[in-house]
Amino acid sequence: MNKAVKIFFVTDIHGSNLCYRKYLNALKVYNVDVGILLGDLTGKVLIPLVEKAGGGWETTLMGTHVDIPNQEELDKLKKTVEMMGYYWVHQTPEEFREFKADPIKVDSLFKQLMMSRLKEWIALADERLAGTSYKVYMAPGNDDHFEVDQIIEDSKVIVNCNNKNVMLDDHEMITFCWANPTPWNTPREKPDEELEPMLEELVSTVRDKSNAIFNFHAPPYGFALDLAPELTKDLVQAADRKIHVGSRAVARMIEKYQPLIGLHGHIHESRGAQKIKKTLIINPGSEYSEGILKGAMIVLEKGKVKDYIFTSG
Amino acid sequence: MSEQMAFARKASGLVRGLSFWDAFGVGFMNQGLTPSMWVMISFGLGVYTGGNLIIGTLLSAILCGIGFSLVWGILGGSMPRSGGEYIYNSRIIHPVIGIAESFGNAFVWIMWIFVLAPWTIDPGLTMMFQFLGLEAAADVVQTPIAVFLISSVVSLIALLFVVFGLKVFATVQKVIMILGILGCTVILLVFTFTSHNEFVQDWNNLAVQYGSLDYESFLSTARTTIEEAGDVLPTTWNWFDSFGVMVAGSWLFAYAYCITFIAGEVKRPDKTIILANLFAVLVPAFFMLWLAIVLYNSVGFEFLSATAWVDNMGEGLAGYTFPWPTHFVGLAAVIVPTNTIVLFMMALSFILFNLWWVALSYLAFPRILFAWGMDRMGPKWFSDIDYKYASPVKNHILCFILGEIGIFLFAFFGDPMGSLSITGMEIVSVFGITAIAAAIFPFSKRARRIWESSPYRGWKILNIPVVTIGAIVNLIYLGILFYFFFFMAEMGEQELVTGSLILYAVIWGLGIIWYFYWKNRNKQVGVDVSMTFGELPPD
Repeated sequence: MNKAVKIFFVTDIHGSNLCYRKYLNALKVYNVDVGILLGDLTGKVLIPLVEKAGGGWETTLMGTHVDIPNQEELDKLKKTVEMMGYYWVHQTPEEFREFKADPIKVDSLFKQLMMSRLKEWIALADERLAGTSYKVYMAPGNDDHFEVDQIIEDSKVIVNCNNKNVMLDDHEMITFCWANPTPWNTPREKPDEELEPMLEELVSTVRDKSNAIFNFHAPPYGFALDLAPELTKDLVQAADRKIHVGSRAVARMIEKYQPLIGLHGHIHESRGAQKIKKTLIINPGSEYSEGILKGAMIVLEKGKVKDYIFTSG
Repeated sequence: MSEQMAFARKASGLVRGLSFWDAFGVGFMNQGLTPSMWVMISFGLGVYTGGNLIIGTLLSAILCGIGFSLVWGILGGSMPRSGGEYIYNSRIIHPVIGIAESFGNAFVWIMWIFVLAPWTIDPGLTMMFQFLGLEAAADVVQTPIAVFLISSVVSLIALLFVVFGLKVFATVQKVIMILGILGCTVILLVFTFTSHNEFVQDWNNLAVQYGSLDYESFLSTARTTIEEAGDVLPTTWNWFDSFGVMVAGSWLFAYAYCITFIAGEVKRPDKTIILANLFAVLVPAFFMLWLAIVLYNSVGFEFLSATAWVDNMGEGLAGYTFPWPTHFVGLAAVIVPTNTIVLFMMALSFILFNLWWVALSYLAFPRILFAWGMDRMGPKWFSDIDYKYASPVKNHILCFILGEIGIFLFAFFGDPMGSLSITGMEIVSVFGITAIAAAIFPFSKRARRIWESSPYRGWKILNIPVVTIGAIVNLIYLGILFYFFFFMAEMGEQELVTGSLILYAVIWGLGIIWYFYWKNRNKQVGVDVSMTFGELPPD
């Protein structure tokens, strides 16, 4: 009888402390063998907690001005900010104005806070997962800076699977974090023409492609997992129309090599699964800012996806 | 304006597609303005002839504006996903309740197709042909084969509006909404600019033309007929009947909840869903109040009740020979019997709102199945999205097939349940269960994390969560509806009520069997689906 391997796959938690802690616990709760957490790992919003002249603090959260009268409320707000995947920093009104006028300073602070949180995450995993039998993999996404890789590498229990071929029981898994160009000009994106040779090189390391896992952050272009609302030049909603925004290079790789399964993320709203020829492709979606851990639990046997289920916890 | 105190870096992320207007449109269109006015008057006032439409409207608007808006707005804003109330009930109460209730609602949405697609013909098209003097055409479209064929075309058109994705749907919805409101406004203006004396004169002129009963004769004949039927035509309103009118009036006020089926796609769901729900109650209330005031002014209280009773009986009144029935659109036609454009627009308003009801079934049913599929509470293909049209096409096709079976039965064997029985099922199953879920939401251990991350957790009055208060108001409204629907024989035949309850129990039973079947089936392949309903502990 074929041995089954149970995988819990999560992606795009964007700095959410709550989602990350849930992920670590989910391995035990869902009773899986393997955990895969792909990028994007880092958050996108920095909340300055600006001191007020008469005491207390003020800030803007979700477009709403918030007054924080005391330390108790401040502690609560910090937890909410971290749950949403945002970062916070204490600032005087002068510091806030200084940062507002200087995007380079903001970038630098962002990077410092992103790496600091990621280091905390790795330390937490090392502590919680030490001595357990779970195989845990992590890799960055297109939104993550390059410094992220080394922090994952430093973990005692988590394997940085980015751009590698690793074995999950009987299955080879290759992971690719780059994406085709987005409107946001993120750190790891390239045109499809440049992505294709990179992907070909990675795929060439796989011996048994029909039994392999293609763990590509960007979903393939033209299928159900890459539908996102059309945006204007100002990056706001253009219409009610959804368009395909995935990678053509990824689509070509999947159609050409037909692996057992494709694990994807990147497009948070396109949670779903679909079959492309012999390959099942899955995007578990993401609602990290609500503190909801979206995932997919997948049961694999040699040459076969036995079953899968989407989770929301 | 206060300064923005937040820094954002450039990064990709989730973008939600639908605006407040789209969400409001879905809620408002599911209130079905013109046909729901007809239901409230002909089914409501036609039974509770002492009902005061103004009082009934005001009470409904207040109770639904508070109750439905808070319950469905807060649940939708806290769990902004597009699977309908299944998401809330399965997460807050229990998955088995969620699926059993959702099973019932999926069935209800199919029932709407096979009840409302034929309504597009009768009274819709029939009314239009009668107004335009095409009586032969009006007779032809009412034959069973014509009802089946035209209803099938209506159902197919409705399917096509939805199956090509939300852009097409939202665009067509705007056009239908504008034309529908325009037609309804024409009806209201016709009454607004007609005094009581003018209406009586118009009625009497038409009576001469068709050899029918004049205003006073109609009233006295109706009075006698009602007495022979064992009832009395009241000369003024009373509170009991005004509450009774609210049951049929629920069609106009209780159905904005449909917004829940696009909750996962609206921008700023925390604000949009609750506001869209509220305005989708207030706008129909404005139109209904306007209609009630002008109807009482021009037609008169007693005469309106008499015409509603006659229309509800469906068998006409001895001596009444106008070519169209005595529903409120027919009364407007009495005032402008030769103005073809106005007559056309008034009937078109009814048809368009009715057509869109069918389209909304195609929005809701496939999304309910999609949510089940995502939780593995059904076959995998329930959660398939067609990559060309970005919609669950297979579920749409299933919806069409089931609707066709219903339309066939409806056309050739009659409406087996009575349209109001659907409302009866929804009162208990959909609205009642979801209101209970909302009431316990802040106190539910199962949904603790969802509540803690809800944008409404701080909304309290006298330290009671606003969602609980809203749920209590909602339950009071549903209690009124429940009392009149299930305990007052006048609302329908007793066997209809009993039949509705049996059907409702059977569907719930099937839902429970469905849950355990899929739970067991998934367990056999190593997946415990019960895990997908709970919140993961972070520590």
